[in-house]
Amino acid sequence: MRPSDINGKIIVDVQPPEIEIVRALLRSEHDMYLRSLADFDNYRRRVERDTAAAIERGKRSLILAFLEVVDSFDRALLQVGDAAAPLVEGLEAVHRKTLALLQTQGITPYNSVGELFNPALHEAVASVVGTQYAPGVVADELQRGYKAGDAVFRPALVRVSQQS
Amino acid sequence: MAKAIGIDLGTTNSVVAVMEGGKPTVIINSEGNRLTPSVVGFTTTGERLVGQLAKRQAVLNPENTISSAKRFIGRRFSEVQSEIKNVPYKVVAGSDDAVRFLVMGKQYPPEEVSAVVLRRLVEDAAKYLGEKITDAVITVPAYFNDAQRQATQDAGKIAGLNVLRIINEPTAAALAYGLDKKGNETILVFDLGGGTFDVSVLDVGDGIFEVHSTAGDTHLGGDDFDKRLVDWIAEEFLRDHGIDLRKDRQSLQRLSEAAEKAKIELSGALETNINLPFVTANASGPKHLEMKLSRAKFDQLTADLVERCKGPVERALADAKIQVAQLDEVILVGGSTRIPAVQTLVRRLTGGKEPNQSVNPDEVVAIGAAIQAGVLAGEVKGVVLLDVTPLSLGLETLGGVMTKLIERNTTIPARKAETFSTAEDNQTAVDVHALQGEREFAKDNRTLGHFRLEGIKAAPRGAPQVEVTFDIDANGVLTVTAKDKETGKEQKITVAGSTQLSKDEIDRMVRDAQSHVEDDKRRREEVSARNGADSIAYEVERQIRDLGDKVPANEKARAEQLITQIRELVKNESTDVPLMRTATSDLQQLAHALAATTQTQGSPSAAHADGANGAPIGGAEDVIDAEFTQTK
Repeated sequence: MRPSDINGKIIVDVQPPEIEIVRALLRSEHDMYLRSLADFDNYRRRVERDTAAAIERGKRSLILAFLEVVDSFDRALLQVGDAAAPLVEGLEAVHRKTLALLQTQGITPYNSVGELFNPALHEAVASVVGTQYAPGVVADELQRGYKAGDAVFRPALVRVSQQS
Repeated sequence: MAKAIGIDLGTTNSVVAVMEGGKPTVIINSEGNRLTPSVVGFTTTGERLVGQLAKRQAVLNPENTISSAKRFIGRRFSEVQSEIKNVPYKVVAGSDDAVRFLVMGKQYPPEEVSAVVLRRLVEDAAKYLGEKITDAVITVPAYFNDAQRQATQDAGKIAGLNVLRIINEPTAAALAYGLDKKGNETILVFDLGGGTFDVSVLDVGDGIFEVHSTAGDTHLGGDDFDKRLVDWIAEEFLRDHGIDLRKDRQSLQRLSEAAEKAKIELSGALETNINLPFVTANASGPKHLEMKLSRAKFDQLTADLVERCKGPVERALADAKIQVAQLDEVILVGGSTRIPAVQTLVRRLTGGKEPNQSVNPDEVVAIGAAIQAGVLAGEVKGVVLLDVTPLSLGLETLGGVMTKLIERNTTIPARKAETFSTAEDNQTAVDVHALQGEREFAKDNRTLGHFRLEGIKAAPRGAPQVEVTFDIDANGVLTVTAKDKETGKEQKITVAGSTQLSKDEIDRMVRDAQSHVEDDKRRREEVSARNGADSIAYEVERQIRDLGDKVPANEKARAEQLITQIRELVKNESTDVPLMRTATSDLQQLAHALAATTQTQGSPSAAHADGANGAPIGGAEDVIDAEFTQTK
């Protein structure tokens, strides 16, 4: 501060000294620097997360398509009934092998019939009357549901029992 | 600073996006999807299900599952009679002729149902971003009146949002393509969604959008195309097998999914297979559905649907008093605009103009909303705009090759260092030739500067370590430093303006590199083969010298013969690369055999010819070789 005497009064120059200007500048520059460091850190984390998610998505779409083949297998086995012909036994063995392969990827089927309808696990295709099940219970399964670990991977397509 | 999101609150599906690091990103919901169905289900247990979950229970609970709330929002009960017929839930008149959904004896205004969807979108966004979300921009169709806009804003408020702005969907689409930055333009937005079709003509000037006209069809969309396919497939199957698949819920479900998949595939392929094994069964056993569908057949089946898009486009142009020739841009929005026949129609109606469709048409509106939200929330403020290097920077190494240190489009400031070595024994100086460009060879790129680092201690080639650093600051000033690690001797040059090339020049250099990519690759392989051959010859020579009498005479003779052959090949301008590779490989085997001999005889010297993928610096006699070890 440069005090000066004008007409007997002390006037203080309001211009801040250079050191203050430089300090303010340094603070804003430092702030920007910290921001860019933070931005980068966030970016790095996002890239890690997005990469993991992209890998999961790629795997997911492949397995979902594969499940359609497994569904056809399920339907074929339903058609052969209880006949224990060697060919059927063979098909069943292939089916088990397929499920084992899915299991190595953490994908396991879950049972829906007889369970209370739950939209987190089941997709309702229709309602049916006159079944052995209480209303609101899954009466039959049109397509199996699968879990990946504890999360639903593909919901089951079901018909739900309703009051007649 | 809190993030602001952009929400496309759709009739069928909704999308939410956000600006992340200056770029719009679509947020993935808790079920892993980019689209969230705009559906709310009220259950007997008092739960409110939203999105996919609500959709899954819709057939069991049709009266208490609200979809298409957007068709009712902000409207009078007397206006929506035709809509009521299309929905399975009850719609009643509230006070003041307001629309109310009647769910389990309770009345809900449409904005409250939309608020439930919005809240879910916001929750998913907050989870994705890991921070609380309060601010949003929401889009509405351009034809929405004040009451509909106000109701949408109210829905946002009910959901606990601070609605920064309500913007028009076509405006958001134009923002996603950055058209606000252009001069005065006239834009036609063609939006064919899941269940609605909208055409808008707008003008943009000085960043301000003005909607001139809108037209459309409130009940035309992708679902109609799916239905056509389902009917055709079912009819074919009925004719062949006498079974109507539409009568069985399970078969119909599978058929609908297969039809939608076929439609999507036909946007990219000319023919697709529809394959549903065990689709049904009768007394004679299981039945399988297997048929081929060509795009031509699909177009034929849906020709009238495509044709229905024509009227609204012509009407919108006429209402805006715009001639086709006055249109500057056409934008495609909505998943159904991926159908080739729809695109052909749009081109035909807009005078052959190529439409904008590089942004995902399902997401373009949400992306535009996110951009607007970013601007309003001041996302752009406080961000330091960083430049990038327009072309790669590097130096010349053995064989006239350009070794890149900083790749093009690297954000600056940036710094990169690599360690190089010498190409000849007892080489005491290296020439550093700094380059800019994308071509493989130094002579095809732009020279930024030359300098020489002298005073390197005499040593066998490959032994000295010269660290070369490229440092480019925020202003584009490049400093190239070469430092001999042994003596600490250092030389440097500074080049200003390496980022200030004209756009034309950059484009030319990049194009040039692309057109020469094959040729350059072949030449580079040749150089690398030559360097590899020369390096192994040198190594084996040294090995033999070190081992002296321990080398069996026959092996020594064989090695010398191969070395001579390789030296000849290396010297020859038009080298036979395969022949050189064979000779190199023979000599490498010999080197391994010699090394083995050495070890069994307990000699201390073993070859360290570990893949000398030599790259020399500079072209002069006493150039640097670079057997480059990358610094960390």
